[in-house]
Order: sequence, then C-alpha cells, then structure tokens
Amino acid sequence: MKTVSAAPDFESIQAGQSLPPLTKHVTVEQIQRYAEASGDRNPIHLDETFARSAGLPGVIAHGMLTMAFANQMVTDWLGERSLLKRLQGRFAGMVLPGDDVTCSATVASKDPQTRRVVINLVVANQRGEKVLNKGVAEAEYPPQRSETHAA
Amino acid sequence: MTDPRWVGRSYETGPYEVTEQSIRDYMAAVGDVREDGQLVAPPTYAMVYGFDAYWQLWTDQEVALDVAHLVHGEQQFRFHRAVHPGDRIRTTGRLTAINSRGDMELVTFELSSRDDEDHPVSDGEALFIIRKP
Repeated sequence: MKTVSAAPDFESIQAGQSLPPLTKHVTVEQIQRYAEASGDRNPIHLDETFARSAGLPGVIAHGMLTMAFANQMVTDWLGERSLLKRLQGRFAGMVLPGDDVTCSATVASKDPQTRRVVINLVVANQRGEKVLNKGVAEAEYPPQRSETHAA
Repeated sequence: MTDPRWVGRSYETGPYEVTEQSIRDYMAAVGDVREDGQLVAPPTYAMVYGFDAYWQLWTDQEVALDVAHLVHGEQQFRFHRAVHPGDRIRTTGRLTAINSRGDMELVTFELSSRDDEDHPVSDGEALFIIRKP
C-alpha cells in the first residue's frame, strides 16, 4: 500500500529534473536549539562577544545546520530517509541569524544497474550568495521486485 | 601551525545510545519533523552520535588546534544503514592530514561509526579551516 506521498519511483526519475526547493529562516533560537541537540556548543555559535573577538561578524550558524536543511530537501523528495547513501558539500559562506537560505537541487544522473541516483545541490542566502556549494547527494533504490504473474 | 606529527592520532567514543528523545530533539532543532512511520533519524544525525569524536579532537590539549579560529569547511558522509532508537553506535575519528593554504590551515578528520554487531553505520570526512589570526 502506497502512502500519500509525491515520492517518485526510480523509473520516473529523469536526469536534469529539479527537486522542489526548500527555504529556511535561520534564527538565534534555532542555532541555540541546534547547539543543544547536537552537543556542539562552540561559542562562535552562541556568544556574540566571543564570535566578534574571533573575527566573525557575530554568531554564525553551524555548517551542519545548513547541511541538515540540504538533507531534508533531498529526503523530503525521496520520501524515505533510508534511501540516502551519500551527502557532501563545501561550506562556502557564513549563515547568520536572520538569513533566509534556500536549498535547490537537480538530478545529475541515474544508473539503472546500481539503482543509484546522483543529485547536485546548492544552498544560497537571500542575496543569492552560495553558503553551501559542491553539494552532492546519492540515493540507492532497493532492487526491483519482479512481477510474478501466473501464465 | 598545528604540529604535523599529530597526523594519525585517533579518538574513540563510547557507545552512543540512540533514544527517541534524542532523535526528536534533533529533528525539532533542524525543522525536519516528517515521520516515516517507524522513527528514522535524519541521516545528518550522524553528527550527533559521532560528536564526541569531534569534541575530543577540538579539546585535545597536545594537538592544541586553534579552535577559536576554526570553521567547518567541508563535510562528506556515507550512510550504510538507517538509525533508529535503541541503536548503540561507536565512532572512531582519525586526524588524517594537516595542510597549509595561504593564511589558512586545513585539518582533515575521518570518521567511522559502527553498531554493536560491528556493522558499519556511517563514514564521514570533515575538513576544518583554521584562519590564522
């Protein structure tokens, strides 16, 4: 029984197609909450005075919060988190409280032999500056079950 | 400059006991709250169960990374299986490279996380950038 989901099946995926973008508004409260949930309480994320003394414009979001947004965009589209086998990216710019960051992605390729789909992704802020680039996600679909019909 | 003789140093975490609360806290923090029926951690939750390895590196007094000027530059993950409440996951982190590029120092940290049956859960590679003051 299929759940009510727009998740694509492997056969319907096409190289070049775009994934639905995902936009997130980042706040001081979210950065604090992420620090608690992840354990990463580095003061550059939490202490404005410390962050400035370290040469930053103020507290910055964890890079892994931005990568979590990219993760969500891909797994929302896949419909199942367990299909994601690889995720990588380069943190190209700082994310500050108040920023709106948008994740966007395109299917780069799919391989019917391995049933793997490679997705290129990028995250940009409200000024269009990339905060995560060289993003790649890879999903693997389970083997296709052969239909067994009585002859 | 961090002394390159520390390349090869590794860090082991104790078993991280994955709880429903810990997964839900992470999902709420990142705003990814969709549920797949059975509770499955978002793959980037790897940063939570592996975090103690990063923490040990950052606070190693002998290696003495300049953490005040350290930012996360790149991250890669390979996910071998889904993570659920009840999993116990150990992570090994290994400092594999220290390089200089202009006025930056690049530190590479490789991670391998395994479950109680010693099956791989995920692998990771982080690149940290230390801006020289």
